[in-house]
Amino acid sequence: MNIEKFELIYKDNRSKIQDKLKIAKRLEEILGVNNYSSKEIDLMAYSRDATMLAINWTIEGKLAALPDFITWPDNCAQISNILKLANEEHIPVIPYAEGSSVVGGSIPINGGIIIDMKKFNKILNINDENLSVTVQAGINGMNLERYLNAKGYTSGHIPQSLYISSLGGWISHKAAGQFSTKYGKIEDIVLGFEVILPNGELLDFKAIPRNSTGPQFDKLFIGGEGTLGIITQATLKIWPKPEKRSSISYSFPTIEDSFSATRSILREYIFPAVIRIYDEFETDRHFEHVKNAKGRVMVVFVCEGNGKLVDLEEEITRKKCEENNGMDCGEQPVEHWFETRFRVTETSSMPPYKIIFDTIEVASLWDKAANIYHTVLKYMNDLKGVLMITAHISHFYPNGVGIYFTWGGIPPKGTSELKFYQEGWDTVIKAVVDAGGSIAHHHGIGINRSHWMEKEWGTSMKYLSEIKNLLDPNNILNPGKVYTNVWKRGEE
Amino acid sequence: MGVFETLNKYKWMIPLINKADRETKSTLMKNFRKKKDNFYPEGEYKANVDDLIKCMLCPNMCRFDCGTLQATHTETMSPAYKARIGYYITIGKLDPTKEENKDFVDLMYKCSNEENCKVWCPFGFSVVSLLETVRDDLNDKDLMPEYCKEQIEKLKKTNTIEDYNIYKTYKEKGVENIETDGNDEVFYFIGCEMMKFPEVVKANIAILKKAGIKFSTNLEKRVCCGGPAFNIRDLNVAKGFAEKNEELFKSSGASIILSDCPGCVLTLTKRYDSIGINIDRKIIHITQFIKELIDKGKLKPKDEIPNDLKVVAIHDPCLIARNLNDITSIRAILESIPGLEIKEPMYTKEYVHCCGWSGTAHWADKDISIKEATIRVNELKETSAHVFVSACPLCELGLNYGLSKEDKEKIKIKDISELLIKSL
Repeated sequence: MNIEKFELIYKDNRSKIQDKLKIAKRLEEILGVNNYSSKEIDLMAYSRDATMLAINWTIEGKLAALPDFITWPDNCAQISNILKLANEEHIPVIPYAEGSSVVGGSIPINGGIIIDMKKFNKILNINDENLSVTVQAGINGMNLERYLNAKGYTSGHIPQSLYISSLGGWISHKAAGQFSTKYGKIEDIVLGFEVILPNGELLDFKAIPRNSTGPQFDKLFIGGEGTLGIITQATLKIWPKPEKRSSISYSFPTIEDSFSATRSILREYIFPAVIRIYDEFETDRHFEHVKNAKGRVMVVFVCEGNGKLVDLEEEITRKKCEENNGMDCGEQPVEHWFETRFRVTETSSMPPYKIIFDTIEVASLWDKAANIYHTVLKYMNDLKGVLMITAHISHFYPNGVGIYFTWGGIPPKGTSELKFYQEGWDTVIKAVVDAGGSIAHHHGIGINRSHWMEKEWGTSMKYLSEIKNLLDPNNILNPGKVYTNVWKRGEE
Repeated sequence: MGVFETLNKYKWMIPLINKADRETKSTLMKNFRKKKDNFYPEGEYKANVDDLIKCMLCPNMCRFDCGTLQATHTETMSPAYKARIGYYITIGKLDPTKEENKDFVDLMYKCSNEENCKVWCPFGFSVVSLLETVRDDLNDKDLMPEYCKEQIEKLKKTNTIEDYNIYKTYKEKGVENIETDGNDEVFYFIGCEMMKFPEVVKANIAILKKAGIKFSTNLEKRVCCGGPAFNIRDLNVAKGFAEKNEELFKSSGASIILSDCPGCVLTLTKRYDSIGINIDRKIIHITQFIKELIDKGKLKPKDEIPNDLKVVAIHDPCLIARNLNDITSIRAILESIPGLEIKEPMYTKEYVHCCGWSGTAHWADKDISIKEATIRVNELKETSAHVFVSACPLCELGLNYGLSKEDKEKIKIKDISELLIKSL
């Protein structure tokens, strides 16, 4: 066995499958001979997702975790039958599509059966009258968006992970895209969906713009992180491609000025599709070539839609920026953002130098936002080993923002990389909690934040756990995430 | 990214690093110095470890357009995972000599060379180019897979990609052989694979004649370009072909070499250059030459072509669109044909999806290639055209594999020359 040569990080509490041959035979009956595997080459391929520390482990020849079987169903009945088998045999099941989680959401920490949803990639229907598209949930985001663009539409959901994430992942981790200030987050975009419960039963939440039909059971699954059910298809809102797009950028002397400017724009019922505030460190990082940017806080805006409205949005956006000490930086910073927004190189560049690097996004009301920003920077700068802590703000509401911190550092002597990674994460989250924010904006909980859930939810957490028990009494679906503190497992 | 660009990209970090405590700075410096000790193999190797590492640590930014991944729906086929396995083989974490690791070795060959990855890669990598460096090390250890050895044996035995010398079949296929007199304007370098499509070769010969070009084909002396040996990375065998072809071109006197196969054009140019053989002549794909002839008025398409060929969907060969960076020649030729209705599939031009038949994947696992071909056929079918037109024998071969039994009754796959000749 090759796998024995690879150090396994999450090796405790793995499910014990007594008779693997029997399970293999059952999977073959459900899926056919070519649609499941327990080959080493396949198991290793599903040993991690895009969680940064797991990427660091890759270069060190370590495996975050290891599943026992991979399955590739292409219909709902097969998924139901795998779940029924898993319940009978008490085997964990981990939904997986593009593996883009950055909080360990799809790492099979207890082993078990991976359900790879990639074959659920069909676009079933575009309805122009309703402005909706019905799609299977395993579809890659970019492939959906390219299809919609070719037909003259956009979903408006363009996360930085567009190329590497799936529709099912977006819904399960309650995702948000770069254009979300106009088009909304995934919960605003989903009109309806189908989900298979842990007991194998299929629920169909019909597509509807809104209803008033008692408690909204369906909302439980948006952000369910694959612990309550497996999303198989969804109907989304779509939009005709915008008629006009304008690019605006201003730099500000302080983060507070940038907050005042953007807040005052939103108070005017103006919703630029994109607003991005870069703190002075990130401004130096991304816009050092831009005049009037050095040592300041850059804000880029993209307004799009009906031409007349875009003109008006631009006029008001400029007025509010200038009223708040903004200096016009022209279109070039926006063009630079468009050119580089999918150019992710840090995940490749940092691990060879053993630099631990990650991003953590949190949410805040406006009145706490500046305090959260400064508190996180202060706490992180006091943590030994931290080399950098910066932030940008990329999701905006009339009432608050999503703040996106980027940090990196080197574990001090005697501290393992996992411990340092956990300290970094905990320091940011503690600062956010202390300053009155919410622990996650759009990446979800996964492994990395599960131990903060009680603090976040308070008494509600008990009921959330009871709902999980009710729907998944054998705890087969994506165990070890969201409700359980597994943070310290894997510690050397 | 070069050293200067890297330093420039990360210079914003310098003030932040300066603020760090002494121990952290010292560890960081040590990590920079020790990068190779920590993560690179010892001894001699050909694998491009720098770029394999970058690729394997990337969150797979090209995954949505990788032909083999989209065909198989498995993470195992993702580009970053292939690079990861290549790295583990290179550093000895996976021992390629063990029979139990055959799957891992095979993965290094499961690529269809379409290079869609290069379009989206933040580093501009072509993943197959990285895998080829791993293949080099495997070859040095005599670990070339059997299906590759079989191809090399065929090349050595017949000088072509078949068990027999496919060029010698020209008579039975009715293809005219034109011997050189040493004073040719053009040498028409027919691809081995194109000999499977004699109607295309005949059309090309007829087109060149109609344009009044003095050319030869020298089929009695012809050998493969060596492209398959380059894919497999048996560079000794490849070099043998390069030397033979260099001689052949000299003897023809031609200043222009045309090929009907984009793979041959790539091989005769960039690949020969990579082993130090420079064919000092203009080497282009035949569509590029034909476009020039039309532009100069030497070819004047005038006749409407038969009704059953009038609505066509374009399938750009990936090597022409992405490697030769030419998306205009095919369209210019088609647009010159009277009465032709041209349909563009959703994935077209530089974003074309592969037919599945380039690279080594079709030897390593034919099913993968057939699935890729089927996906491409379905995309072309969405145009509602019943004629798919391309300009590459491998595309025509691959697309044929992608047609179902029912499709074959309705859909025709044609080379562009087969259409053009009907209008001349």
